Amino acid sequence: MVKLFDTQQLRLINKYAIRDFSRSYKKLWVIASTLFISLLLLSLTFSVKEALNNEIEANSKELLGGDIQVTSGIDPLPSLVFDELKVLGEVSIAIELATMVSKKGQAPVFTELRAVDDNYPLYGEIVTTPLGASKKIYLNTQKPTVLINESIQNLLQLEIGDDVVIMGKSFKVAGLVVSVPDLAESAVFGEFAIISKSSYDKFELSSGGSFLDHEYRIKFNNNIDVSKQASLVESIVAYDDSIETRLPGQSGRSLGRIIDNFSNFLNLVSVSAMIIAGIGISNTLLSFVNQRNTSIAVKKSIGFSSNFIQLMYFYEIILILIGMSVIAYLFGVFSPLLANELLPKSLGIDLQPTVSLIGYLNIFFIGLLVVLIFSIPSLYSISEIKAVALFRNTFQPVSLNFSSKNIILLAILVTILITYFVLQTEQKFYTILYFVAFFITMFIFYGVSKLLISFLRRFHKFSNNGYRIAYRNIVAKKSLAPIMTVSLGIGLTLLLTLSFVANNLKQEISDNIPSMAPDLFFVSIDRDIQPDLESFIKSIDPEVTLEFSPMASASFISLNGTPIEEIVSENNRSAWVVRGDRRISWSEKSNPDNPIIEGEWWEPGNENEMFISMDSRAAYDLGMSINDKITLNILGRDVTGTIKNFREVDYRDISINFAIIINKAFANKLPYEYIGTLKSDMSSNEILAKVVEKFPNVSAIKVDRILSQVSGVLNKIFIAVTGISLIVIVIGLIVIVSAVLVQTTFRRYNNLIYKILGVDFPTILRAMTIEFVLIYLTLVFFALSVAIAGSYLIVENTLQLTWRFDLGLTLWILLTTALVSFVMILIANKSIFSPKVYPLIRNE
Amino acid sequence: MNAAIQFNNVSLSYGSKIDPVEVLKGINFSVSSEEIVSIIGPSGSGKTSIIMLASGLETATEGSIKINSQEIVGLKENKLSEVRRENIGIVFQSFYLIPNLTAIENVLLSLEASQKYNQEQEAKKLLSEFGLSHRLGHLPSELSGGEQQRVAIARALINKPKIILADEPTGNLDSANSQIMMDLLFDYTKKSKTSLVMVTHDNSIAERCDRIIEIKDGQIV
Ligand SMILES: Nc1ncnc2c1ncn2[C@@H]1O[C@H](COP(=O)(O)OP(=O)(O)OP(=O)(O)O)[C@@H](O)[C@H]1O
Ligand SMILES: [Mg+2]
Repeated sequence: MVKLFDTQQLRLINKYAIRDFSRSYKKLWVIASTLFISLLLLSLTFSVKEALNNEIEANSKELLGGDIQVTSGIDPLPSLVFDELKVLGEVSIAIELATMVSKKGQAPVFTELRAVDDNYPLYGEIVTTPLGASKKIYLNTQKPTVLINESIQNLLQLEIGDDVVIMGKSFKVAGLVVSVPDLAESAVFGEFAIISKSSYDKFELSSGGSFLDHEYRIKFNNNIDVSKQASLVESIVAYDDSIETRLPGQSGRSLGRIIDNFSNFLNLVSVSAMIIAGIGISNTLLSFVNQRNTSIAVKKSIGFSSNFIQLMYFYEIILILIGMSVIAYLFGVFSPLLANELLPKSLGIDLQPTVSLIGYLNIFFIGLLVVLIFSIPSLYSISEIKAVALFRNTFQPVSLNFSSKNIILLAILVTILITYFVLQTEQKFYTILYFVAFFITMFIFYGVSKLLISFLRRFHKFSNNGYRIAYRNIVAKKSLAPIMTVSLGIGLTLLLTLSFVANNLKQEISDNIPSMAPDLFFVSIDRDIQPDLESFIKSIDPEVTLEFSPMASASFISLNGTPIEEIVSENNRSAWVVRGDRRISWSEKSNPDNPIIEGEWWEPGNENEMFISMDSRAAYDLGMSINDKITLNILGRDVTGTIKNFREVDYRDISINFAIIINKAFANKLPYEYIGTLKSDMSSNEILAKVVEKFPNVSAIKVDRILSQVSGVLNKIFIAVTGISLIVIVIGLIVIVSAVLVQTTFRRYNNLIYKILGVDFPTILRAMTIEFVLIYLTLVFFALSVAIAGSYLIVENTLQLTWRFDLGLTLWILLTTALVSFVMILIANKSIFSPKVYPLIRNE
Repeated sequence: MNAAIQFNNVSLSYGSKIDPVEVLKGINFSVSSEEIVSIIGPSGSGKTSIIMLASGLETATEGSIKINSQEIVGLKENKLSEVRRENIGIVFQSFYLIPNLTAIENVLLSLEASQKYNQEQEAKKLLSEFGLSHRLGHLPSELSGGEQQRVAIARALINKPKIILADEPTGNLDSANSQIMMDLLFDYTKKSKTSLVMVTHDNSIAERCDRIIEIKDGQIV
């Protein structure tokens, strides 16, 4: 009996393992390298995620800009309420609006403008170049000053000290904003500028339009019992549903969600990499055991038990695991420093590496589980090696041991791994689904290999020498076909899936400027100037296509009387429809671009009742049905209406699309403004410059600019996905090598015998080719099906893009993978090219 | 006095119950301690099978086998390993040294299996007695067949087993080497009061033994 805690025994195991190590480290590189790469990937994703969350948590007040924030929307808070807030602490007012910044001779730029008072910022600081430029905007100079971000500087080719025009007023550029603590997410990739509130007041906006937001941030006088003061603030503004409050930590929420989603995706990919590496480990160990078949038999004949020998090999792997996980962890821990370089500077995020034992143990534990799961079937094959073989001089290769005891053990370990992993992720359901799909795929490939074997058994009457040998190899009792199929199949499937996703992203980037898309998108046009604007534009270009839609701002209150927050979870795909301010429009008849898929359009002319047409996808996600009652807050008033129909809306065509449309007769009573689209053969820059000069308060976004921002984001995702695919490819290839290694130990002997029997080299080569082609062709069909289904789900559901298939890319991947794998099989089998019989006889 | 090995009505058959290949049928014999026994018989008669059973590496289909009075039929693998470690040394026809261990390490392996550590001096001494003092650090692939077999015997003897089982230990050696080998084996077993059971085809070797057991068609003649 091997006593686990017999120190002498342990010392012996240690001694043997180290000795074995130093003499056969070359054979262990597959285990070491696959473990290292996959652990590194895991460690990278964990470290960056942790650093980001720490940063967001540590800077939650800076990210919000105060202890609490009150947003009152288009209208400022009444002065009475404002005075009440001032009692509690220091208050800073900021007004955010969308407007145009222009310079003579350049197309005006759509900008997120923030007007701030001199209390701003309450936490953190505005970082500018030159340093201290932020003070200048408050100086009462003759000409007011503005801080712009780098993007505006590039678009308008501005120097510090140049003049720009904002809403008809001239501003001098005082400096560049590098970062502000509480930057709106929409401004991260776009254009952003800061002026003082006193400059803003001089605009004397009568109605700011719906792209205007008043924000009040408060820094409490005393820091004790902050939550009590926060609820006091909430009660002060409770009189109006449309006034929202936010606490630190909530501000980073949507950023946090993006990070969570992305790191969840990365985690899944890295765990897949770990599992694939596990297959490699399993293969390598098995080939290891078979290479040492006689040594193990001799040890048994001397009196070592199977347990002892298994323990020794296991100990060796654990040593490798410890070594690799430490190195991988250290590399991973410092990855946030690299991430700092890749994140947009304007976020003002500075990630710090955190070294912790827990962090390391987390990686180690996952690695340990994977290693255990995949080494058990290999190492337990040791118990199948019979020492009596030493009397008979023949050695049966052993294969993976799936005794019922092992299966139970594996099931427990797999459950622990999945549970442990799922507990760490936000999207638990999807993660479980992913794991289930992954293991099902593994079983599918196992089944596929069995299918191939039974298929070949029926069609074996094919009298070609090469085929006969290939056939015999595949259907043999201890065939390698299952191992090859599962390793190659999983590797190929993951490779195809990731490539499909990456390719779809790339397609989206390259052709997402539809020819039908408008050139300009007007936002927030005062109803009084809309007719003048329309005729002015038509006077510039009589051929122009112009479309204006009325628009009002509304927020979602309840569905059938139940507050909407109670119905819709944060993670709901369509939560954006009911969150915050929604712009709604109205119409008397249905739009053919938005076909009705359920219900009917309303009869015109009912001005006392509100009818609602909903985006069908949102309606489905939010669980709405026809004739449900929806309550909206429109300009401070709660109005309840009835859902009459669901429309199919494609937000990707860049015409004006609304999730919610109401009946015109009812809406006529509402105060409203317009939004519009323009398409012209003339240069949109030219039209925009003329429009902004004549109508300083009109804002218009150049559509190609938004699209380039979108492409920028998509591009970053594309790079990430491609990078990960590359890592997976590397691991996949290593695994294929390991599968080949298993094959080699089994095969070398057979091939030698074939040679001795006089089978010539071309025939052996032909046999190997036929065998490979048979296995590969069988698994291609299944790998392709799973990859298509997987990438379709990711592209359509997670990324919300339209999935497309690329035959050229598919063929390219299939061919290269086949070629690379086959070349590796040949290299690993190179002994058949010049078999040295002598050392084989002498050694074993 | 207790027998070192005791076979009682031992049978061994392979294959299915319906159509068994009967290799050994009702074997009865015993080997007392310090006795040297040779097993002879035609090819396929079951000589190797007896050695396999005695070493506990194969399980008897019927009957009882006692090693130093301990019944080994029906023991679990771990227990069998223990019995083997404590009582038995095996010498194979094809040597079977572990290829990536040196001569002395191959010998030490046997000691370490029985949890005897730091006995390098013993191993060196034994190998020197076998004329291998200059080959201690060599790998098996660097040794001649005769040298390999001497290392293999040293590996079987170092643990001072009470029984040595050898299956045609000289089968792969020329007659000069066979002579050296047999001298070593006989000397050593006599000196250390060990029993030796040896399968051989060589009549001159068989005649040097205390007793000869002849097997034919799975039965003792
Ligand atoms: N696993 C097995 N299944 C079926 N029959 C077997 C098996 N192993 C051995 N045998 C048979 O048992 C018989 C005895 O074999 P054994 O090796 O003991 O003979 P042996 O006397 O050592 O012969 P040799 O002198 O040729 O080594 C042989 O006829 C052999 O065919
Ligand atoms: Mg024999």
